[in-house]
Amino acid sequence: MNAPSGGETVQRSAAAGMAQKRDAGNVHLDVAGLTKAYKGKFAIEGVGFKVRAGEFVAVLGPSGAGKTTLFRCMTGLLTPDRGTVKLADLDVMQLHGRERRHVAVVFQQFNLVSRLSALGNVLAGRLGYVPAWRGWARRFERGDRLLALDCLDRVGLLDKAGQRADTLSGGEQQRVAIARALAQQPDAIVADEPVASLDPKIGSGILDLLRGICHRDGVAVVCSLHQMQFAQTYADRIVGLANGRLVVDMPAGAFDTATAAQLYGGAELRSMLD
Amino acid sequence: MKESPAAETALAAIEAQQRRWGVARLRTWTVAAAVVAFYIVSWRLAQVDPAKLASGLPKLAHWLAQAWPPNVAELPLFLQRTAETVAMAAIGTTLATLLAIPMAVLASRNITPFPMLYYPARWFLNALRGIDSFVFALLFVAAVGLGPFAGVIGIALHTWGSAAKLFADHIENTPLGPLEAVETTGAGRLTAIAYALVPDVAPVMLSTTLFWWEFNVRASTVLGVVGAGGIGQELKNSMDLLDFSRLFTIIAVILIVVTALDQLSGWLRRKLV
Repeated sequence: MNAPSGGETVQRSAAAGMAQKRDAGNVHLDVAGLTKAYKGKFAIEGVGFKVRAGEFVAVLGPSGAGKTTLFRCMTGLLTPDRGTVKLADLDVMQLHGRERRHVAVVFQQFNLVSRLSALGNVLAGRLGYVPAWRGWARRFERGDRLLALDCLDRVGLLDKAGQRADTLSGGEQQRVAIARALAQQPDAIVADEPVASLDPKIGSGILDLLRGICHRDGVAVVCSLHQMQFAQTYADRIVGLANGRLVVDMPAGAFDTATAAQLYGGAELRSMLD
Repeated sequence: MKESPAAETALAAIEAQQRRWGVARLRTWTVAAAVVAFYIVSWRLAQVDPAKLASGLPKLAHWLAQAWPPNVAELPLFLQRTAETVAMAAIGTTLATLLAIPMAVLASRNITPFPMLYYPARWFLNALRGIDSFVFALLFVAAVGLGPFAGVIGIALHTWGSAAKLFADHIENTPLGPLEAVETTGAGRLTAIAYALVPDVAPVMLSTTLFWWEFNVRASTVLGVVGAGGIGQELKNSMDLLDFSRLFTIIAVILIVVTALDQLSGWLRRKLV
């Protein structure tokens, strides 16, 4: 396991205790029976799992297993043929307009507005709260600006607040994207391969950050990952997709080589371990 | 070493390809012949006659000799008329840009709110683009009378089509990830467009607008010929009177102003991007 910096360890253990007190056992994100077919071929079929508030769930699976389809359904970017995604009592698929702020999304390609500053990008997270004209004029109240700067501080980029997004490194851009998600004050964060475009060292920093937010703020986090070592290190639970079906759902500690072999098949697993 | 069957098959395919080269070569020759025929026909249709140019050149040299000294007495008038041309281009281009923004949204496949109107919008823009501002000015001189206003309308209509098409092409090539991301924050479609798309697209729009302004200043010097105001009018008068010192002074003024605007707009555009 990567050794996290001292300060964060203290912060996280204290936060973890707090989150447990607040949301113990409370089901937050509930995915049930999700099915989506393209041209008669199932991309995902009957996929269901639950994520508690303050729980970090990693989604693993070989390429083409249906992870992207699952994530686009969970974020309301794609409508499934059958099944539901519920956030407490809210139906995520029915969320329109500003209600979508309840689910924050972190993308593999960061998706920052390249010509806006880091702060401007984080403030986008407030657009689900403020009147529309503020978005058009890019004029935010002092409270929102302070909150956005706080979010940037939490991802360690307060000093880059004024810098244009396209001048930041990949890792920094993803941190800004996470700050944008934080500024949404979401109930759930859905992260689709958030570290696939980053080198492993930067990637573990990002996952550290996501896990910290998850445990400290009691946010449900679902995160798809390529490297199962990352999932074992950072996730509380691991669910696995193969050929569009859910084949693994277990605590991260119980995920072993045999399970991995079942999920990936022998050949791909060997290439992953090399 | 024994050759593998895969290598055998690959070699057979490559040899078959080489045999087909006969057909490919024939096609090359046919295309070449068609191109040559095209140029021969075009040469005839355009009535290109180098002998005429040879006999005409001394006439031109004679006029040039008459052009000195330049006619500076009327310089204030020329400058005023040139200012008229620059103003026509500025107003026409600005109007065109303002009209082009909503049309560009309609004509962008990826963000249009009314996909039904995508093709009609594109056709409309192509029609505007296909008719030169000169032709529009000709029509509007008849409709609204002589003077720069007809020129403004001519410039505005043609530039509307061209600018909206450029904007739309740019929007269609802009990655939509940031827009999608801002929509998931609960911003709503229009606010997301304003927040995520406008910052990326606006500098390009401003830069194309400057380009069109500069282009229209050059193009609208001829609008005076059809009576649509500006320095072109004086140019035509001088030509009609065979007053070459006046004519070449006007050409010099146009050249200086256009070059200066080129530099200015180029400098501004470098600042934008």
